[in-house]
Amino acid sequence: MLEKMMKTKLFGWIDERTGAEAIIKSQLTEYQVPKNLNYMWNFGSLALLVLVLQIVTGIFLAMYYKPSAAMTYGSYTVAFDSVERIMRDVNFGWLIRYMHAVGASAFFVVVYMHIGRGLYYGSFKGPRELLWIIGVIILLIMQGAAFFGYLLPWGQMSFWGATVITNLFGALPVLGEPVQQLLMGGFSVGDPTLNRFFSLHYLFPLLLAAIVGGHIHALHVVHSNNPTGLDVHAGKSTIPFHPYYTVKDAFGVGVFLTIYTYIVFFNPQMSGYFIEVDNYVPANNLQTPAHIAPVWYLTPWYTILRSFESKLLGVLMMGASLAILFVLPFLDRSKVRSSRYRPVYRQMVFLFFVTVIVLGYCGHSAPTPTLKLIGQLATTYYFAFFLLLPLVNKFEKTKPLPEEI
Amino acid sequence: MTLKQLWMVATAALVFSMPSMALANEGHVALKHAEIDVSDQAQIQRGLTVFTDVCMGCHSAKYVTYKGLMDYPEIGISREMVDELRGSKPLTSGMISDLSPEDATVSYGKVPPDLSLIVNGRRGGANYVYSVLTGFEHDPSGKVPDGNFNEYFPGNRIAMPDPLSWLDHDASDTAELEKQATDVAAFLAFISDPHQNERRAIGFWVVGFLMLLTVVLYLLKKEVWKDVKH
Repeated sequence: MLEKMMKTKLFGWIDERTGAEAIIKSQLTEYQVPKNLNYMWNFGSLALLVLVLQIVTGIFLAMYYKPSAAMTYGSYTVAFDSVERIMRDVNFGWLIRYMHAVGASAFFVVVYMHIGRGLYYGSFKGPRELLWIIGVIILLIMQGAAFFGYLLPWGQMSFWGATVITNLFGALPVLGEPVQQLLMGGFSVGDPTLNRFFSLHYLFPLLLAAIVGGHIHALHVVHSNNPTGLDVHAGKSTIPFHPYYTVKDAFGVGVFLTIYTYIVFFNPQMSGYFIEVDNYVPANNLQTPAHIAPVWYLTPWYTILRSFESKLLGVLMMGASLAILFVLPFLDRSKVRSSRYRPVYRQMVFLFFVTVIVLGYCGHSAPTPTLKLIGQLATTYYFAFFLLLPLVNKFEKTKPLPEEI
Repeated sequence: MTLKQLWMVATAALVFSMPSMALANEGHVALKHAEIDVSDQAQIQRGLTVFTDVCMGCHSAKYVTYKGLMDYPEIGISREMVDELRGSKPLTSGMISDLSPEDATVSYGKVPPDLSLIVNGRRGGANYVYSVLTGFEHDPSGKVPDGNFNEYFPGNRIAMPDPLSWLDHDASDTAELEKQATDVAAFLAFISDPHQNERRAIGFWVVGFLMLLTVVLYLLKKEVWKDVKH
């Protein structure tokens, strides 16, 4: 079908002016991909799909959403009212809003799977260091966009979540307070905060779209890793991206959309995990909720923050836990990429995945001494995983690599 | 035991023990179960009556308009009934209580919460609403006055005076009071998300279609990949 289309006169006219044929060939029909990628390699295309879904649904929501904390009847606000108007009165507004809210969580599910795959199969290792670093930047922007977005309904969790997180910046020395006030647009979270968060919530996805372009470009320069971690760029170990991986990604999209729409249509709050119960209560700056926790995708880092008695140290360690991802490609000195042939690293990375889940669980639950201790142990291993990496290759006996895939 | 098995045991132990640790620390009373059906028009209409006769004395549902009471098929009461309920208020007005926030503060010490989103905005949802309505008891310690002690309200001291007169009711009235509480819980569950029945109805087709599409895409994938040797 694609070849037929490329022979038409119209395509020829476009090709002369854009070089479209060369792009299609180099990026799709003649772009070589290892033939042995497993289904863990589907999450990249899914992340792109969710990004597009979020941008499209977000544009429609912004047509009806009003970023104002001005009070309305019954201690509600213009912002909260406008969200309820979308849910109740706008045609299919409920669908667009639930798609967007569930989409935020879905985005993190697929991106965390994508990152986990990169960790397990050593996709971050040379020559893909920059590809990984661009990915970490994408993760940070995503977390920012999600955080800004969560303030917009102006519910209790929006308000108190934003209060807690903007306060974190205040803990930093010297620059802390000015930065905090700049973020809030005043001395507490209020109407100016809502306005600037809305503005940034619209800006960040545009940044994402651009940087994702860079991520894909970087990928196409160094090519995909594969489950064996061997370098394969041509020959009988590779197949063209189109049609092989376009159809495989399409199947992945089918599976993803089935699960995603099931949640959107049948359990959009995901029992309080995707839209928290407290966020159906309008923001009230005089009444702190019994238990403030960020949405599930930010809770691992929240636990790291809470694991330290000193607020400043907690903030710094939380920053460090994300910043350390940037240097991961340089910490791991093993010549072998895939965990399949690295028995020690394999155990370490498994435990790391469990640790992140435990951190997430601790951050989501009301703090207790037991959970705090578990959180501290998990935090210790989180950092130990990275800091032990430079030593691992000194004693790890890697298994023999196969000749070809 | 291999290292791998050790991991699996350790992980399983951790994962299964975590929820119990959290539960042990929250100290919530188990809620009663409300038999509600948010697509049952008769139940929702009965709940509307309880809402307008009892709850609206103090509470509003500002996001539910009088027009909505006619337009939502799940409620679907007639124009005449709506006119009777709204009095001189416009059709597009929300269901606002006649008790002003100022008077409420004087009488009860606080403004009664709006009930439009009460089911979505409370842990336990409709079960919570039902449990609170049928949870007025005498304080075992005798500290909280009768009518302000509620078994299911967090902290047990509630500003809302026993709206269905549950405390000390005759045993013969239990079924009727439970029915009123269930009906109004159903009404409140419906108005928390008034498109929920439509959502589930459409969702059935969307998810069904996508499941079929996914099967087709799987077969297509197999067809395209059949020449690739592993």
